[in-house]
Amino acid sequence: MKPTSAAPSVAPAVEAEGVSRRYGDVAALAEASFRLEAGRFLTVLGPSGSGKSTLLRLIAGFEAPDAGRLRLYGRPVEAIPPHRRSVGMVFQRLALFPHMTAAENVAFPLRMRRWDARDIPARVARFLSLVRLDGLGARRPHELSGGQQQRVAIARALVFEPELLLLDEPLAALDAKLREEMQLEFRRIQRELGVTTINVTHDQREALVMSDRVIVMDQGRILQDADPETLWREPAHAFVAGFLGVGAFLDGVAAEGPALAIAGATLPGRAPAGRAAPAPGARARGSLRADRVRLAGAGATPAGCHAAAPALVEDAIFEGDRILYELRLPTMGGARLRAIDRDPGAHARHAPGAAVTAGWARDDMILFDAD
Amino acid sequence: MTDPDARPQSGSGLGPATGPETSPETGPARGGGPAYPLSWRLLDAIEGLAALWPARASGAVKWALLAPALALVALLLWGLGVMADASLREMDFRTYRLSEDWSLANYARALGSGAFWATARRSLLAAAVVTIICLALAFPYAYAMTRTRSARLRKLLLVGLFLPFFIGQVVRAYGWLIVLGQEGLANEALGALGLGPWRMLFQYPTVLFGLVQYMLPFAVLMLAPALAAIPEEVERAAESCGASWPRALLHVVIPMALPGLIAAALVVATLTLTDFATPAILGGGTNDFLANLVYDQFFRTSDAGLGSAITLLLTLAGTTVAGVLLAAAGVAALGVRGAR
Repeated sequence: MKPTSAAPSVAPAVEAEGVSRRYGDVAALAEASFRLEAGRFLTVLGPSGSGKSTLLRLIAGFEAPDAGRLRLYGRPVEAIPPHRRSVGMVFQRLALFPHMTAAENVAFPLRMRRWDARDIPARVARFLSLVRLDGLGARRPHELSGGQQQRVAIARALVFEPELLLLDEPLAALDAKLREEMQLEFRRIQRELGVTTINVTHDQREALVMSDRVIVMDQGRILQDADPETLWREPAHAFVAGFLGVGAFLDGVAAEGPALAIAGATLPGRAPAGRAAPAPGARARGSLRADRVRLAGAGATPAGCHAAAPALVEDAIFEGDRILYELRLPTMGGARLRAIDRDPGAHARHAPGAAVTAGWARDDMILFDAD
Repeated sequence: MTDPDARPQSGSGLGPATGPETSPETGPARGGGPAYPLSWRLLDAIEGLAALWPARASGAVKWALLAPALALVALLLWGLGVMADASLREMDFRTYRLSEDWSLANYARALGSGAFWATARRSLLAAAVVTIICLALAFPYAYAMTRTRSARLRKLLLVGLFLPFFIGQVVRAYGWLIVLGQEGLANEALGALGLGPWRMLFQYPTVLFGLVQYMLPFAVLMLAPALAAIPEEVERAAESCGASWPRALLHVVIPMALPGLIAAALVVATLTLTDFATPAILGGGTNDFLANLVYDQFFRTSDAGLGSAITLLLTLAGTTVAGVLLAAAGVAALGVRGAR
């Protein structure tokens, strides 16, 4: 039985309709619905316990949904066991078979899918070469480095040309340098093979770097489904705004404008894209990314700002290519704010304890309902 | 998800209520939280004892620690030496003394006797059959015990595993006498169905049955850690590679559990080969194993020479079985080293 390669068809590669999964009283996944077109790279981003891994396990077939429909290329798959789904998976801890060599690991899916024995060696060699492991096929997993083990796991998941590739945080355990390298490597291989991919991660950078599309989840719910740039610029929920990037929230009451009223001051802001601003008088929170907050000396107003407030520098953290300022706004009831100076060499550094003015443009503060 | 567990439990709502006035001394410690648990104090006390340990352990100290184990092995070897010496001396039945000079006469008598070979064949066959049956039964038991999500089932299986250890081998064999006897429970039940009575006692299959029942917990005990060490993710990976569950078991789980299977086989095979009580009681003298033969030489015919010779032959057989299994385990263990 050779798997049908991702044939061009009208049906999306993955289609979830109201898919739910409960564990006891906890709704791990609550009515998740989305579609993924063939050949795209989707990342499901969320903190641990957000339901992203449950979603992946349902798609892989290790668990069945309690409710909802799940289709792969138009076929309902709820009743199909994992080994009959054309889905390759790279696991969190890789789950290589320690008693097999790298080549045997890669050959395993072909043997299990009863490919012609004569075709297997050439195909294994091709995929080992694809993941740049030429000549290492005879090594066992424990004789390979972490990055090389990753590559074996990728080759094993892709060698049978699955209709769908699932990545269950396989990069989480790697050190930062190797992780960045493997992110690009995954992207390269995915583009080269054009395989539809769903990646699950809690790493926002990984989501932005690797994906065509990102779904943000929290507490079993899909909060936003957008391409990386939209997600970054136009968070639809306060949670998304807080999860991506470095920033802070100012809590207050919504005012006309729209604006946010805190301790007598009225700070102009804007509504999230495609949604209404919080109703005036309701409790609201304004999201401000640290890279949009500009600083000037006490009494001065930073250029190009629609709002400004006196601030005290609580800490100035040198991060190499930038300085992160932790600020307190004494006139706003002691609310906290963060600012990033991306060009530390060009500006005088504000020392902890210094009084400054923090300012931002109207469009930089997005107003959400406080829930 | 772990949040509720992470917070220290405060007894009777005392913790939060005292909030603002809580001074360092009456903080969470007196609020019913874990101040300094008894187990920590116990460990501290043990560490205190460790202070008696010389700061710099010389080589002599290390050897002194090894001494009890070495003494045990030495004692065993010494006993084996005494046996080997006796096996080379013939018993003089007029004086009941062993001969002064060495000869291979006892070995010649043992190896030349049909009874010896019949008993040896019976023991070795039992070792093989009981080992295979025990592994076949222990694997699903250990697998279920390590994989089940139900804490209740796991507890039940654990109790079922350890309960037999509380009942000695002889007691259990006698129990089977009651169950399997001509007027026993089994025949009573069969009679109610209009069957039997069947003669079950003093048959070879019954001895094997008794041995399997005795050895099974040992096999499970050896297998369970090996299976627990195989991450469930590896099984899921095999499935996502296209392996049905039976094929995942065959190609991935069993090869990865091989060291545990070998260890279980080693224990069951050697214990069965050298078993005495089960063939004695359930075989009733009609299905003796080599250990029963040895017993007869020492305590019935008082032929210490022949008994020693058979003992050494039994030891040789056991060592060979263990050697073969360990050689197989060596290869397997190499393949699995470095696996987590």
